[in-house]
Amino acid sequence: MAEWICRTLRDGGLEGEHAPALTINDSITCSLGSFVFDHILSQLSSFIDSEKSQSSGIVLVAFSRSPLYYEQLLKSKGYNVSSSTWFKVLDCYTDPLGWKSKLLNSGRIANDSLGSSVTVKLCKNVKDLDELLSLVLHRGKELSVDGKGRFMIAIDSVSEMLRHASVSSVASILSELRSHGQVSSLFWLVHSDLHETRATAALEYISSMKATLVVQPVDGLRGNSASLSLMENNLKRGKFSVHVKRRNGRVRTMVEELYVENSTVNFTPFSTEDEVISQSLVPKVQFNLQLSEKERNDRAKVVLPFEHQGNGKNIQIYDGRKSLNESKGDSEQTCFEKEDSGRGEIIYFRDSDDEMPDSDEDPDDDLDI
Amino acid sequence: MVMAANKPRSGSFSRNFGAASSSVPSIPGLKHGPNGTMLLSSGIPDLDKILGGGLALGSLVMVMEDPEAPHHMLLLRNFMSQGLVHHQPLIYASPATDPRGFLGTLPNPMVSKDDKSRVHETEQEKGLRIAWQYKKYIGEHSSESHRDGKSEYCNDFDLRKPLERHFFSWKQIDCVSLKESADLAAFHERCSSFLSQANQNNGNITGGRIAIQSLCSPQCEYSNREWEMLSFIRSLKSVVRLSNAVAVVTFSPSLVSTTFSIRLQHLADTLVSVKAIPDEDKELAKLLTGYKDMVGLLSVHKVARFNTQVPTILETTTFSMKLQKRRSLVLECINQAPVDGATGSSYASSGSCSGSSKTGSFDF
Repeated sequence: MAEWICRTLRDGGLEGEHAPALTINDSITCSLGSFVFDHILSQLSSFIDSEKSQSSGIVLVAFSRSPLYYEQLLKSKGYNVSSSTWFKVLDCYTDPLGWKSKLLNSGRIANDSLGSSVTVKLCKNVKDLDELLSLVLHRGKELSVDGKGRFMIAIDSVSEMLRHASVSSVASILSELRSHGQVSSLFWLVHSDLHETRATAALEYISSMKATLVVQPVDGLRGNSASLSLMENNLKRGKFSVHVKRRNGRVRTMVEELYVENSTVNFTPFSTEDEVISQSLVPKVQFNLQLSEKERNDRAKVVLPFEHQGNGKNIQIYDGRKSLNESKGDSEQTCFEKEDSGRGEIIYFRDSDDEMPDSDEDPDDDLDI
Repeated sequence: MVMAANKPRSGSFSRNFGAASSSVPSIPGLKHGPNGTMLLSSGIPDLDKILGGGLALGSLVMVMEDPEAPHHMLLLRNFMSQGLVHHQPLIYASPATDPRGFLGTLPNPMVSKDDKSRVHETEQEKGLRIAWQYKKYIGEHSSESHRDGKSEYCNDFDLRKPLERHFFSWKQIDCVSLKESADLAAFHERCSSFLSQANQNNGNITGGRIAIQSLCSPQCEYSNREWEMLSFIRSLKSVVRLSNAVAVVTFSPSLVSTTFSIRLQHLADTLVSVKAIPDEDKELAKLLTGYKDMVGLLSVHKVARFNTQVPTILETTTFSMKLQKRRSLVLECINQAPVDGATGSSYASSGSCSGSSKTGSFDF
């Protein structure tokens, strides 16, 4: 299913449609969002490198991690980005507000090299989102020879963008990018618990796919060592659920398990039975028509007053014809047999518990005539 | 009376409209409604029937969007196309930078031969063998609702074909981008001038249409100023009420606070919501018939009633939206499990396709 997302992002949108946009939501309880982001980035890089995609490249807008990190990440996956033409970075990490350059100009600090060989473009004013937009588009145009090719955009962390700018301007720039003819798809990471619900709702509104990382609930069978492994668990595992808005107007939901191992991510199909999402759509009933497991077992064990129970034994039932003496002996036998099969009882709970069952009181006695 | 046959049963007395409609020459695109109101069509025949004939002039219709599905666009498209087919002036606003692009997606009215074949199909489906002497009454009924010529009150729109160019007389269409100004004051001015122009149209009533898409969209700068949006809607409602126009406004309740969403719902004369349905859901497929053709759900929460204190009580409030042959939008009652068949309200309030419980109960 993560493959499905990567393929959708690779294929991009149709002519005249908005580009598909993925938002990756994570939170402090399950903070594996950056791993997922890296995974998707490397998957898309592999598609572009092997020329399976119609996009000519990726523009990465790096806010929360340095471009050097990404270069090393992709190098470890086997893509040499320093000499590649399909990977461009817009560096908003090194000097987002222009403070370093001011200090450099005034001679306070010495110039330090970025250490990265990927040609990066520095963005010195992330507060001006119009400028950011034009820089991103400019970088995208550099990717193709004639400047007309389509490209993908990856935004490292929209949470960082929201630090510097208002929700409406961030939403505006993202929707501009989505509707731009040359952008084939885009995806971004956001830490949903850092923002108000309004901001996350706005991002969800703009995107066409929403991936949420939640904590994988664990069976508490491990006993005392559970506490440590729970923490370990949360750091390594998670539940990855995706909502996709499809073209026909329906919503597709997919769930997978996520496991991080040595900074690589593995996705496995969900092992337990997925909760039926439409259960909430089933109309609510006043009374419970379903039986619990215990109730079902008990029901199976109840001895019905038939002569043949279907298990080969004949049960004697008092049918009023035999004399008392004989029936006594028989009833003892039946008692024994019943005990063997195990007592199953159906207990009926009256709706109104304050009423005595089968009370002999005549309600007309209350009348004072 | 043939007209009485179309109306839902509301009692043993029914107004005799025959006299009234024969004295006033019928205006294309408008028809008389109950209690002295004039109605115009929403562009979807089924929705007109559900709402009691159409949208009353002077009413404010609000559509609550589902952020996960674009069904509100379907409603808007039909509404706008119907207006253009009847040469009614139209103003359209959306948060896009270039709203004119949306006009290219408006559907064209269905060609009449397709229309008639639909009628025949339903007849054949029912398998009715009508004796020959009764066929003349059936013919009358169908000709009443599918009149030939261009003076049809409500067209069936073919969503696969774009609206023909001759319907676009550019003087009467105004497009506004909600993003261009920081507040709604300028847009309100434009609406007011649009309405006063529509009223002055040589003394003839043509009916105007205002279509506002995604008012609370996050790209707009005013979107976090909720009181400003609320006062805009309130003044729009009062201006529309005094005019011969209908305003349709869509907004997404997930983007605004709950209290504000409820305030907006109360302001509406007619309130409708659309909802997405999950894809490839086996439980839902068992629960509902016709799940394969369904694209979404439509719920009607409030129906505008003017000049009367009697409210409209609908038999069902939730309908399924289906695309018949992928071309025309059809609304059908949902056939669900008969356990709680009273209203669709439990359905709407408990259902949440996306798993997020943002959808509160819309019951009034």
